Amino acid sequence: MSEEKSSHTPIKKAGSGILGFLSSLCYIWWLETKSTIKDEGVLIFFILVPLAYPLLYSWIYNNEVVREVPVAIVDLSHSASSREFIRDFDASPDVHAAYYCNSLREAQGLAGKQAVHGVLYFPEDFDRTLNRGDQAHVGVYCDMSLMLTYKAIYQSALAVSLKMGEERQKPRSFSFTERDEELNTEPLSVDAQPIFNTTGGYGNAVLPGVLILILQQTLLLGIGLSAGTARENNRFQDLVPIGRHYDGIMKIVLGKSSCYFMVYCVMSAYITMAVPYFFSFTMLARPSDLFWLLLPYLLAVIFFGMTLSCMVRYRENVMLLVVFTSVPFLFLTGVSWPQSNIPGIWQGFSWLIPSTFGVRGYLRISSMGGSIDDILPEIRGLWIQAVVYFVTTCFVYRYQIISARKHAIAHYQMIQNSIRSAREKRADGK
Amino acid sequence: MKKLHIYIRRLFHLSAREVGLMVHNPIYICCMVVFPLVVILFFTSLMSEGQPEKLPCGVVDNDNTSMTRAMIRQLDAFQSTHVAGHYNSVAEAREAIQRNEIYAFLYIPEGTTARLISKRQPKVSFYYSNVTLVAGSMLFKDLKTVTTLSSAAVGSAKLQMLGKTPSEIRDFIQPIALDVHMVGNPWMNYNVYLSSIMVPGILILFMFLITAYSIGTELKFGRAHGWMAMADGNIFIALTGKLLPQTLIFLSIFLGYEWYVYGYLDFPHPGGLHMILLLAALTVFSSQGFGVFAFGLMPSLRMSMSVCSLWAVVGFSACGATFPLFAMDGMIEALAQIIPLRHYYMIYQICIFNGYPLIDAWLNVVALVAFAALPILVTRNIKRAMVEYVYIP
Repeated sequence: MSEEKSSHTPIKKAGSGILGFLSSLCYIWWLETKSTIKDEGVLIFFILVPLAYPLLYSWIYNNEVVREVPVAIVDLSHSASSREFIRDFDASPDVHAAYYCNSLREAQGLAGKQAVHGVLYFPEDFDRTLNRGDQAHVGVYCDMSLMLTYKAIYQSALAVSLKMGEERQKPRSFSFTERDEELNTEPLSVDAQPIFNTTGGYGNAVLPGVLILILQQTLLLGIGLSAGTARENNRFQDLVPIGRHYDGIMKIVLGKSSCYFMVYCVMSAYITMAVPYFFSFTMLARPSDLFWLLLPYLLAVIFFGMTLSCMVRYRENVMLLVVFTSVPFLFLTGVSWPQSNIPGIWQGFSWLIPSTFGVRGYLRISSMGGSIDDILPEIRGLWIQAVVYFVTTCFVYRYQIISARKHAIAHYQMIQNSIRSAREKRADGK
Repeated sequence: MKKLHIYIRRLFHLSAREVGLMVHNPIYICCMVVFPLVVILFFTSLMSEGQPEKLPCGVVDNDNTSMTRAMIRQLDAFQSTHVAGHYNSVAEAREAIQRNEIYAFLYIPEGTTARLISKRQPKVSFYYSNVTLVAGSMLFKDLKTVTTLSSAAVGSAKLQMLGKTPSEIRDFIQPIALDVHMVGNPWMNYNVYLSSIMVPGILILFMFLITAYSIGTELKFGRAHGWMAMADGNIFIALTGKLLPQTLIFLSIFLGYEWYVYGYLDFPHPGGLHMILLLAALTVFSSQGFGVFAFGLMPSLRMSMSVCSLWAVVGFSACGATFPLFAMDGMIEALAQIIPLRHYYMIYQICIFNGYPLIDAWLNVVALVAFAALPILVTRNIKRAMVEYVYIP
């Protein structure tokens, strides 16, 4: 607040008291809104990308799970039991016995041509070993360039082998009744329950993070772009023009941020409520929880963006600075690599970025049905960020106002000097 | 012969001019050297564990006997699981998941041991959260193993009592065993899996953007006429001279990245050195080609850069490295073919990671060569833009 007072004194004020403050604020808000709509670049990042990108991503991940992964079968056993295994395997929803080969080499060739993503190999003695009462082996070869196909092949093969093994155990388990067989083959019954994201869908796991990140990245791009434009249009390449409305830090910061906040209230409502509805993603958040998360998130992002925008000299540079951060920022939130295993140094760095807390909080209330109490640490983090970045924004703008004024004064003096020297010259001439 | 000499001299002068421009604008050094290095270090250090270890897992042990405690100790001893908390009820454990303290929990109801000993088939359950897919599936695997082992222990004890040998017991308990071969990445190392696509993806993004930026700024700062004059109006000479220094820097960064992951971190690369070098050259040329093409199509700095960024960012998802392409919608499958990162990924995984012959990826090689040749289509457009257009912000 102190810097605000000091900056008020030198230049003539726009109006007196609170009314003048408000009128200046509204004026700056109006200018910013106008430039947002007029400026094609800002319009793209503020409106078009937040509207279209979530739809594109949702479309990409809309199928959620991987079904019918093609697998090559190398059955050297050619027996009833190997065929039973293959039939059960093929009947699993996630895999598909696409090719039958005579050797592993042949199957390998198919894998190289991307026709299959894994191979099931039955050795020649599979049936014999099994019926002799020894342990029979099935070879499972997985292409590890895709984790999801590996998971599908491995889990299907495991399920089939356990099921078939159980059937083999039953006649040899000294049982008298069927219930006895069950008890002997499964003395401890196990129930595996996915508790959240129950389908194990990839889209449901990744998309909420991407959606919240899109809000941040487009805001950073838009704010940076508009700051770059302001600088380029300025005669001295300053962020803040000289004018009767631009004499207070609070006016400028609040005026501009209220414009961004206004646009992004709509955008965040669309992204967090409409998009999940269109594509029927899990959405368990209560409206009030969502509001209390998104309010500090938007504020933190806006002031973060305004602080960073002072570094943008030319409008296009902002794309070079912001776009590439999207992927690292997404990884820092813990959506892909678990949060508990992020090394300390990156953990610390991630606290500087609003999306870290925003995505974590959003995932917990939207995918896990948590309440505001469950995400208090994230909300506190966001409010702290909002306040800290607000203060840094004020400092940045204070510096900008001072330098703008210096430039103006220097320019004014230069003109005066030249006038004076011209006069002197003329006087000398006479 | 003399003409060639003149061309080479012009190329040299243009390249020298470009180097001068790059030195004076810090954004070039940032985006071509500093940021790529940061990104390489970021991804490789973030996932340096390879596979997530000691993932926090909870336990609700209402039985609390020596058997259940042994089971929990066994669970804790797994490499990827760490028993982080004991809870009194399922509801408490669920709240812990919602607070992100644990990713899964094991629930052992009261009387489990008693029912197990008296052969009344007790039921234990485990709950895992798929919201973080990696953590969920790792814990699922460990919890499944530990519960299956506990169940098998009962049968094993009984068979032991009947005088069966250890191998007989094994054969009875697991009649069919799987020999799982994780070809190429037997450690299931996520660093190998993710870094080798995310880092090149970001490098490609920088190549796209810097190429479009460097051509577009000629217009923006009104240097276009001077540039064209130095090349004597020959757009091919002008572009080649301009892009040559960038190509060399990008190529060294890309080769540096490849040296770091394959040479230093020793990511699997059965494809060998020649594939690695080929892929580096293809990637750099195709990305620059795409950058030039994007600018030529829309000779406006902002629009071409926007297109480049959107293209590169969508590539991370549409390349099909995390979620397989064949599982996506047919339309997306087709669209992915016009994204260079898709072809990079295919050549990488077919020829370097799995070591299959180059012929298996010929289509992708052709695609990258086509991307590199795209500028031919738009050179006239670029020339016209340079001679006639003025920068509109």
